Amino acid sequence: MNRIVISIFTFFLVNIVGAQDILLEAESFDNPGGWVVDPQFVEQMGSPYLMAHGMGETVQNATTQVSFEKSGQYHIWVRTMNWAPGEWDAPGRFNLKVDDTMLEKALGLRSGWGWEYVGETKIGKNKSAHIELVDLTGFNGRCDAIYFSTSDKEPPSSAKKLAEWRKTVTAESNAPEEIKNYDLVIVGGGIAGCAAAIASAEQGLKIALVHDRPLLGGNASSEIRVHTEGIYGNFERILRMLDTEHYPNGHVEAEIDQEKRDKNVKSYENIDLFLNWRAYDAKAENNTIQYVDARHTSDGKRIRFTAPRFVDSTGDGWIGFWAGAEFSYGRESVDTYDEAWEKHGELWSPKEADNAVMGSSVLWGSKEMETDQDFSEVPWAMPVAKSYKEVKGEWQWEFSRNDLNQIEDAEEIRDHMLRAIYGSFSNAKKEPENAKRKLEWVSYLVGKRESRRLVGDHIFTFKDAVNEIKFPDAVVVEKRAIDVHYQTVLEDENNPDFISEALFYKGIQYYIPYRSLYSKNISNLFMAGRNFSCSHIGLGGPRVMRTTGQMGAAVGFAASLCEKYDVDPRDIYTGYLPEYLELIESQKYRKIPESKK
Amino acid sequence: MRYRLLNLFLFVLWYGNAQFALTDIGGAVLQENGLDRQPEFFNMPWEYGTKLVKKETSMFIEVDSIGKQNIGLLVDQRERPILYVSDIETPVCADGDCKLMNIRLYWTLLGDYAGFDRDSKLPLTKNDHDEFSMADYLKLHLLLTDANSILKQRKIDELIEKPKPSEGNGPDALSGATIKEVKETVVSGALYSCYVAWHLVHGQLNAKLREYTSSQVTDETVFQMLHSANSNYQMFALGRFDEANYKEHYARIANIFETGIPMVRGFICKNLPEKFWKTPKLQNLFWNAFADVDINTRSLLLEHLNSASTETLERISTHLGVMTKNQLKIFLEQIGENGLVEPIRKNLVVFANDEKQTYGYIVNQFLEEYEL
Repeated sequence: MNRIVISIFTFFLVNIVGAQDILLEAESFDNPGGWVVDPQFVEQMGSPYLMAHGMGETVQNATTQVSFEKSGQYHIWVRTMNWAPGEWDAPGRFNLKVDDTMLEKALGLRSGWGWEYVGETKIGKNKSAHIELVDLTGFNGRCDAIYFSTSDKEPPSSAKKLAEWRKTVTAESNAPEEIKNYDLVIVGGGIAGCAAAIASAEQGLKIALVHDRPLLGGNASSEIRVHTEGIYGNFERILRMLDTEHYPNGHVEAEIDQEKRDKNVKSYENIDLFLNWRAYDAKAENNTIQYVDARHTSDGKRIRFTAPRFVDSTGDGWIGFWAGAEFSYGRESVDTYDEAWEKHGELWSPKEADNAVMGSSVLWGSKEMETDQDFSEVPWAMPVAKSYKEVKGEWQWEFSRNDLNQIEDAEEIRDHMLRAIYGSFSNAKKEPENAKRKLEWVSYLVGKRESRRLVGDHIFTFKDAVNEIKFPDAVVVEKRAIDVHYQTVLEDENNPDFISEALFYKGIQYYIPYRSLYSKNISNLFMAGRNFSCSHIGLGGPRVMRTTGQMGAAVGFAASLCEKYDVDPRDIYTGYLPEYLELIESQKYRKIPESKK
Repeated sequence: MRYRLLNLFLFVLWYGNAQFALTDIGGAVLQENGLDRQPEFFNMPWEYGTKLVKKETSMFIEVDSIGKQNIGLLVDQRERPILYVSDIETPVCADGDCKLMNIRLYWTLLGDYAGFDRDSKLPLTKNDHDEFSMADYLKLHLLLTDANSILKQRKIDELIEKPKPSEGNGPDALSGATIKEVKETVVSGALYSCYVAWHLVHGQLNAKLREYTSSQVTDETVFQMLHSANSNYQMFALGRFDEANYKEHYARIANIFETGIPMVRGFICKNLPEKFWKTPKLQNLFWNAFADVDINTRSLLLEHLNSASTETLERISTHLGVMTKNQLKIFLEQIGENGLVEPIRKNLVVFANDEKQTYGYIVNQFLEEYEL
């Protein structure tokens, strides 16, 4: 690649701070090599970042070319974090290479996200440098950004100051310059979001589906690999395009279903798919959302999405949260919605409300190889894994603790699970029978069960399920047991804190009303997925993905009627319910086109 | 779970060996109207000299083709309820071959599994009609002790299916893993007997027994439960307590708070009457346990930080290292609001300068901002 091309190519990768300062965002590297872009924790630590997720084997260098306005002597800082600090070598160490020089300072050593000083480098007359991130361990070293400055002043570390500084140095305007208008904007491409997109696209709406990963499906994607559970209800045709086989959680066959899902969603001409775009703001005026802003997770470009109506299928309820929608988090007291089940008492529903919730999973697996396989010592993992041994992780690999918020502390939760996994595998590897075992796959994405629940006109509860109430606006139906998890460490401190147990309440069939699928106080906001309107126990059953897919499809059809009559989601219940139910009924009998099977 | 089961298994193995090295392995003779010795396989404490008398209740278990099997209540000499018991005779069928299983089952007052006695004249047998060995009985006891056994949510058919071979290159198929786990859990060659016994013990009867106890329970029994080492008994008692009870049994409750399981500790912390948090003397025993309790309980304690005295805050400031990141932030926020007193500031400085402390940087940031 000649220099001119490089300069053009790097135009979008760097932000020129002043005459002699450059902020290079790691996620924008020309070639990430074996490093992965992790955009999961942007709201907390400020940016997507590159991570060396090598499962114990060092990954290929990430590389990029940087152009400078002036030659000279530059100080270099890297924004990074030691993700398991303690009395051992940091697990995620890496080096920085500038042109042919490997800078000596090992990076990834500091507790908490912040800047580590790397050293100085001379930028020559060509005013360009080749940068490489060199992984030293294979254990999740992470780099958010690299800052070059002729001054020796370190950039700010605290989240608030850093965000302000970033805005200043990048000279970013408040609003994205590009604006796109749609009939419906759906944020979150999990099963619920995809189903909403297909249902509304079938009805002729022009859809934007905004998703922060390269693959669709959320927890069902081949990046997380949870199989879909539940029944199809009224939406078998749509859900068959999106769901999975019932293979074990964490199974590689998720890749086959991934292909099917991606192909099907992409086949709709009126769905504009924005993969690798993460929403970062939503603005409501008079309780009506005006727009959602999103940023590309690698190149940093921004788009403002406008539409008369929006669907929050982010799982964490971000759109509702930013727009000021009412939401709940944690366990209600047992009396709030009369959700007692004496058999399991406090584990099921507490006498006093608290912020305990079902945890997040990180699935993983290993395989037998032909020859003996080494696995590094992982002293930094042992305080979590202790003596636990395992060679794979199913749904019970789940972590929740009452001092950790499933949204705000998701990175710590993920890292805790990584320590549990690597430590337990290391223990198992010490058994002669596992000499040939090798880690095959470890997810680095947090598979969440529960986070924010946006409040709708109806809050779906355990009682609705037990009494099998058939609401007049019942649009989702499910037979699967109410299934609420708790951490087994609550029963015995000697248990590992990353293993859960399930409590099942088996009923016959229950229904979720349409009124649980739109916001109570934001007039043009639908929700589908685990962030629908329910209590903690109410979420126990319908949180599985065929059920959340049913919610998505129900929302998609409702949105088409909203468009037809130019009304709000609530108006469908109050004024157009027979037509809505008829639409759901009639679409059941359409055949699945061969092209979408 | 496996960790817990392994411990329990080792304990049962040890207990079994210890006991049966000294006694006749032939099994106990069931007594018709009561019990004056500890059941042979038992999870509850048994005081030497205890004599229990059986009283009939209106409850029963319905067993296919055999009919109703009565549930008795065993009471002590002061007529206090201690256990539920039932002499069960039930058919166990495998591949069309049926035989009767005789076993005496015991439940706690809350319907949890407590133990069993075998019938020395009618021992349990396996598919091949071999009698259970002592190790088999112990394994059955271990299985019945696990209320969350793999047998819980599955039909018998699902447990005997052969694993479907996996075509992918992925992790082992669940079906294969499940079958393996079932094999490890049940008595070899006696899957059906184990399955039937587990579902008898943990079936719908549990809720009925609990309800029966709830409807008849006296204050004396509730207080007895509070003093038990059984966590479910402790929870049952605490759930019935009012402010006066909490005050009256303050010492025992504080003791449970120190020694109990996290779930019970958490319940105590969340349900202590407001009066406790307004009275430093009443709070102290709970704050004293701050460094020793589990993380979840510590978080719940920290929710009452604004009621804590300066002395308590000072004491906590010597335990900064046990706190998680978020707990530390809560503590710092509170002392920031209260005003930083010198002894606490000193402890913070020591902590912030200790390179071994993972979250020293958070305290450093706090001190920097506070002293600006």
